[in-house]
Amino acid sequence: MTQFAQVVISGILVGGIYALISMGLNLILGVVRIINFAHGEFLMIAMYISFLLYSTWGLDPYVSAPIVALALFVFGWLVHRVIIQPILDTSATVKIFATLGLSITLQNFALMMWNADYRTVQTAYQTTVIRMGEVAVSVPRLIAFLVAVLISLGLFLFLKYTLTGKAIRAVAMEKRAAALAGIPVKRIYLLAFGIGSGLVGLAGSLLMPIYYVFPTVGTLFVLTAFVVVVLGGMGSMFGAFLGGLLIGLVEALAGVWISPGLKEAVYFAIFILVLLFRPSGLFSLGKGSEEVGLK
Amino acid sequence: MKRAVTKSTLLWLLVLLIALLIPVVVENKFYMHTLILILFYAAVSGSWNILAGYAGQLSLGHAIFFGLGAYTSTLLFMNGGVSPWIGMCAALALCMLVGACIGYPCFRLKGPFFTLATLAFSEVIRLVASFWKELTNGAVGLNIPFQAGFSNLMFRGKEPYYYIALGVLCLVIAVTYWIDRSKMGAYLIAIRENEEAADALGIPITRYKLYAVLISSGLAGITGVFYAQYILFIEPEAMFNVNFSVQVALISIIGGMGTVAGPVLGAVLMIPLNELLRSAFSGLNGLNFFLYGIVLILVVSFIPNGILPTLRGWLSKKRANRHSQLTQAIPGTQKGGGQVDSAN
Repeated sequence: MTQFAQVVISGILVGGIYALISMGLNLILGVVRIINFAHGEFLMIAMYISFLLYSTWGLDPYVSAPIVALALFVFGWLVHRVIIQPILDTSATVKIFATLGLSITLQNFALMMWNADYRTVQTAYQTTVIRMGEVAVSVPRLIAFLVAVLISLGLFLFLKYTLTGKAIRAVAMEKRAAALAGIPVKRIYLLAFGIGSGLVGLAGSLLMPIYYVFPTVGTLFVLTAFVVVVLGGMGSMFGAFLGGLLIGLVEALAGVWISPGLKEAVYFAIFILVLLFRPSGLFSLGKGSEEVGLK
Repeated sequence: MKRAVTKSTLLWLLVLLIALLIPVVVENKFYMHTLILILFYAAVSGSWNILAGYAGQLSLGHAIFFGLGAYTSTLLFMNGGVSPWIGMCAALALCMLVGACIGYPCFRLKGPFFTLATLAFSEVIRLVASFWKELTNGAVGLNIPFQAGFSNLMFRGKEPYYYIALGVLCLVIAVTYWIDRSKMGAYLIAIRENEEAADALGIPITRYKLYAVLISSGLAGITGVFYAQYILFIEPEAMFNVNFSVQVALISIIGGMGTVAGPVLGAVLMIPLNELLRSAFSGLNGLNFFLYGIVLILVVSFIPNGILPTLRGWLSKKRANRHSQLTQAIPGTQKGGGQVDSAN
């Protein structure tokens, strides 16, 4: 029983980070209608920035998190402006392979700059645990989870109540009507891409104290994020949040009950099943949202 | 129109003749290896092109069939002493079966979601192959014992491999050429361009997509067998690698998807570049793929149809211009033609 509680808790805590990465991906998908295959490499870049700030100036990953998030916001903005914007009205092929090309480029850029070594930061709290009864909770994981929850809440409120947030939702629902209502659609796209990238920047900072960074680290997480986005429903922020926690849980349980080597296979199998039988996701916005990202 | 066909056939024959003669001239092992890689990648990419370029189903799981083919013949050879030639037939059959099983349910998905599903299948199969140690020896991989001989499909020199790769490529080209010229090609392109419209016209969409995946996966399986026999070492990480699927796609995209010669042109351009960069900058890991990525972004952004169709477009425009000048010069001549051979 204790072991079960332990597994459930650590699964959900990791799920918080998955949620953050997936919400970034989902925001871009829902608004700009593009699946960013380079999203994982954005995470990798964020982790390297966090690592470099730590190794050169000794900045703690939590302290440098806002800097990393801002850097990724700018990076996402630039990527959208330079690569994505010119191809928005083209076929699915072009969009898939342009972002894939970006993914290959960034991955190998990292390989050239920092080679394939696994790098990590040393912090005082890295191995600290809090004991709650017989269950041990790792402090950096708990922090990552709490920050992820707070940021998600902030994002919900931002999208729901601010004028900019409403404009973003309007563009996600109906681009043309939004443009007719005087919303600067192009600028909203840039903003959404920037915010989506900023979220993944934050996720990278939170991940740094509990994981390593290496050039292909993004592949691992982006595939998880795809699973989460499809599970939670394309374009649904809340779905991405819940989906993230769910996948964290599934992964942890599969690791214990089936085999650590097959835990990814389990959630990919779930992914395929959801895609095939309920392509609009478990908590989707409604009919037709599986069409998102097609045009 | 009739003349254009014979012209392109002549061109193919000429290229084939040169390809047949190359090993007579080239002695250098590195060059031979690069040439074999060109033929091999052109063949794999050509098999992908049938499903993705013609039928418009952008799979990133092509490594599934490539890896499956390699494992089928290798396991049959190592455990049962079955000749890889027979293994090739087994690989063909198994890959077609698996292709149909994966393709059929996934065909309901459109655009990027089909791509994601194929990606997920590829990952599941990679993980299972690494996990199933009794069968595949897991991540350690399988070393195929070297026993030279025709029936074992293993040779000391590089020439035999060259000719076998050329043979496989010729098979892929012939199949693609046949599809391109047949009713099936027209159906597949109609499905690619507009599925609803193709459906409304009465084209049995799912059946033709299924035909495309059967042919595509079967051919990919054969290339996998060749790879295993050439390299003599297979492991899940390398055989079911998503990056390999991406690279295969990239070659067709650069050369021109949905054309017979596109994958060949893509491989002729990209593989030597890749090998050259790898040997020239061996200290700088990743430079070759870094440039690959940039080329991919530039190609899809600026010439989304690939090099070959873009070149053809220019040529036919030039010809059309000349034609219109001619018709202006000679009063009474009929307008028309010019565009016809750019149709494929």
